Amino acid sequence: MIPTPPVRRGARLLAAVVAATVVTACGGGGSDGGVTSTAYVDANHYSAAASASLTTPNENTAVTHHSVTLAGTAIAYTATAGHLAALSSSQAAEASIFYVAYTADGAAAAARPVTFFFNGGPGSATVWLHLGSFAPKRLVTGVPATTQSVPFPYVDNAESLIDTSDLVFVDAVGTGLSEAIAPNTNQTWWGVDQDAGVLRDFVQRWLTVNGRTASPLFLYGESYGTTRVPVLTRLLETAGRRVNGVVEMSSILDYNSNCSVEGGTPTVNCAGFLPSYSAVGAWYDLATAVTSDSDADIATVTRYADSTYAPDAATWLASGTLPPADHVAALTSFTGLSTATWDQRFDMDYDTFRHHLIANSTLGVYDGRVSALVGSPLDAADDPSNSFVEPGFTAAIQTVLPGELGFTTPSTYVLSSDAIDTWDFSHGGRAMPDVVPDLSAALSLDPSLKILFLGGHHDLITPFHQTELDVARLPAGAPVTLHFHPGGHMLYLDDGSRPLMKAELAAFYAAATGAP
Amino acid sequence: MRTTTLFATLWAVATLAQAAPHLDPGAPPPATQQAARAENRTRPASVGATLQSDAERHLRASFDAADTAHSGMLSREEAQAGGFGWIANHFDAIDTRHVGRVSFDDVRRYLKLPDAAASAATAK
Repeated sequence: MIPTPPVRRGARLLAAVVAATVVTACGGGGSDGGVTSTAYVDANHYSAAASASLTTPNENTAVTHHSVTLAGTAIAYTATAGHLAALSSSQAAEASIFYVAYTADGAAAAARPVTFFFNGGPGSATVWLHLGSFAPKRLVTGVPATTQSVPFPYVDNAESLIDTSDLVFVDAVGTGLSEAIAPNTNQTWWGVDQDAGVLRDFVQRWLTVNGRTASPLFLYGESYGTTRVPVLTRLLETAGRRVNGVVEMSSILDYNSNCSVEGGTPTVNCAGFLPSYSAVGAWYDLATAVTSDSDADIATVTRYADSTYAPDAATWLASGTLPPADHVAALTSFTGLSTATWDQRFDMDYDTFRHHLIANSTLGVYDGRVSALVGSPLDAADDPSNSFVEPGFTAAIQTVLPGELGFTTPSTYVLSSDAIDTWDFSHGGRAMPDVVPDLSAALSLDPSLKILFLGGHHDLITPFHQTELDVARLPAGAPVTLHFHPGGHMLYLDDGSRPLMKAELAAFYAAATGAP
Repeated sequence: MRTTTLFATLWAVATLAQAAPHLDPGAPPPATQQAARAENRTRPASVGATLQSDAERHLRASFDAADTAHSGMLSREEAQAGGFGWIANHFDAIDTRHVGRVSFDDVRRYLKLPDAAASAATAK
C-alpha cells in the first residue's frame, strides 16, 4: 500500500502558516469506497516575479479519490495537489514547489514506478503535460482542427499512464504556484544548473516523504524540459539516486545546434529542420517530391538533408554562395516553399518558412498543420497553434484545481512567467546549454539508465531530425530509443499519435524496469 | 463556498491580465546568444573523446564541490554529505587500495574512463 497521507503539516523547520484551512468531506473530486476527500484552501499569494520570496510556506495538500477505467480495468487512484519544500543538503528550505500527484491505490511501492513531469520555457508551468498528456483525465482539443470551443471537454483519458506509473506533475520555481522560499528569491533558481539543483532536491524530498525511495524512477521532459531533465538526471545519479528511465519529448538538447533559438544573423545550420518543413509542406499538398510524412518519405528527405542540404547551407552560411539551381529546386519540391524564398534565406529558419509557405497565411510554431489567415484572430499572436490551445488550458487549470482536485487559492496560476528574460543559460562552460554531456555522464554513472525520445513531425521549433543529429553524438550502442509521429510540439494532443506514444511508453517502462 | 467563488473570480481576473506567453523553448537574450555564437566558432559540438571529457567535467565539478577540504580525496562520509552519494554507494569498489579515501582518478578508473592524456590527445 502506497502511503498517501491526508493533509500534511509543514516540516518543523518551515514556518507553516495556515491562514485559511477549510476541510470538507469530498472536495468536488468525488469519493470512492468510502474514502474521504480533503479539500484545501491555500491563502498564500504565490508570485512568479523574479524578486518574489515566500515567507509563509506550507505543505498542506488537497486529497481527492477517483477511478478511471483503462482497457476494461477500473483503476482507483488518489490525486494530491499542494506544495512541498525542496530542502538543501543542510535542510535549508529552498523553494515551495507546487505539484499534482496521481497515485494508484493499493500498489506495492517498491515495484510501482513514479514519473515526474516537467514542461519547459524556461518559465512555463507544467500545465500542458498535466492537462493534455497522460494523466487520468485530459483535455480534448481536436488538434490540428481548430473547431473545438473553450472550455475544452475534460474527459477520462484512455491513454493514461496511471496503469503503468504514478504521475507527478511539477511546476518549476516561478511558474504555476511554485515560489522560492525566503531568503531565496525566484531568481535564485532561474538558471540551468540552479533549476535542476532545486528540482533534484524536490524529487528526493517527494520520494522520501511519500515512502517511495525504493520505487523505479522516471523523468519526463517536454521542450526546455528536455534540457532540464538530463541535468536533473545527472544530478540525481550523482547524488546516488538511480533513474530508471528518461523520456524526452520535443527535444532541445543543445541550444547551440538548434537554429530556432537563433535571432538576427544566421550562423547555425538549419538542415535538421528540413524533414519537418517537408512534412508540413506535404500536409498542405504543396510538396511534389513527397506526398506525406510516411516513414519512406521522411527517410528520403532526411537523406537529402544530410547529404546535400547540410553542406549547401554550410557553404551559404560561410560565403553567401547559393548552390546550383537544381539544388534549390529540389528543396522546393520537398517543401513547396518557393525557390525565391530559398534564394533569399537559404539557411531556412522556421519563421521564414511558416510565414512564406502559403501566401497571406501564418502556420503554427508548435504545430505547422495549424494555419490562420494573416490578420485573423488566431493569427493575432503570430502562432495559430498556440493561440488555439492556450485559452483552453488557461481556463481549464482554473476549474480543475478547485473542482476536480479540491485545491483553491487566491493566487494566479502562472502558465508562462518572465523567467526566460533573466535566466542564467550558462552550463558546462558554455554560454548556452548543451546537455548531451549530462546524458553521457549519467550513463557513465548508471549504464542501465534508458532514454526514450519522442517528437512530432510537424513541430517547427524542436524538429525531430535535429534531435536525431544531437542524439547521434552519443556513443554507438547508447541505450536510446527514438519514435516520431504525426503531430506538433505537444504531440500528445494528436488523437492518432497519443495511442502510439502510450504503447511505446508502456514498452519503454517495461524494458527500463526489467519487467517481462 | 462564497469564499471559493470569490477566489475563483479574483483568479480569473488576474489571469486575464497575464501577458502573451513566451515561446518554449524561447530564445535566450541577445547578449547570451552573442557570447554563445562567438564560443561556438572555436568549440563545435563535442563527440567521442571530446564529449567524454565534457561529461567528465561535470563529474569532476561535483567531486570538487564535495571536497570542501580541498584535499583531492573524499571519504565515504564526505561524498555522501557533499552530494556525491553515488561515490558513497560504490565506495568499497572504488577504494581499491582500501585507504578509506578516494581520488577523482580512482573514480575514473572505476568508471573505466579513458585516461586523461589519451583523451586530450584524441580531442585534438
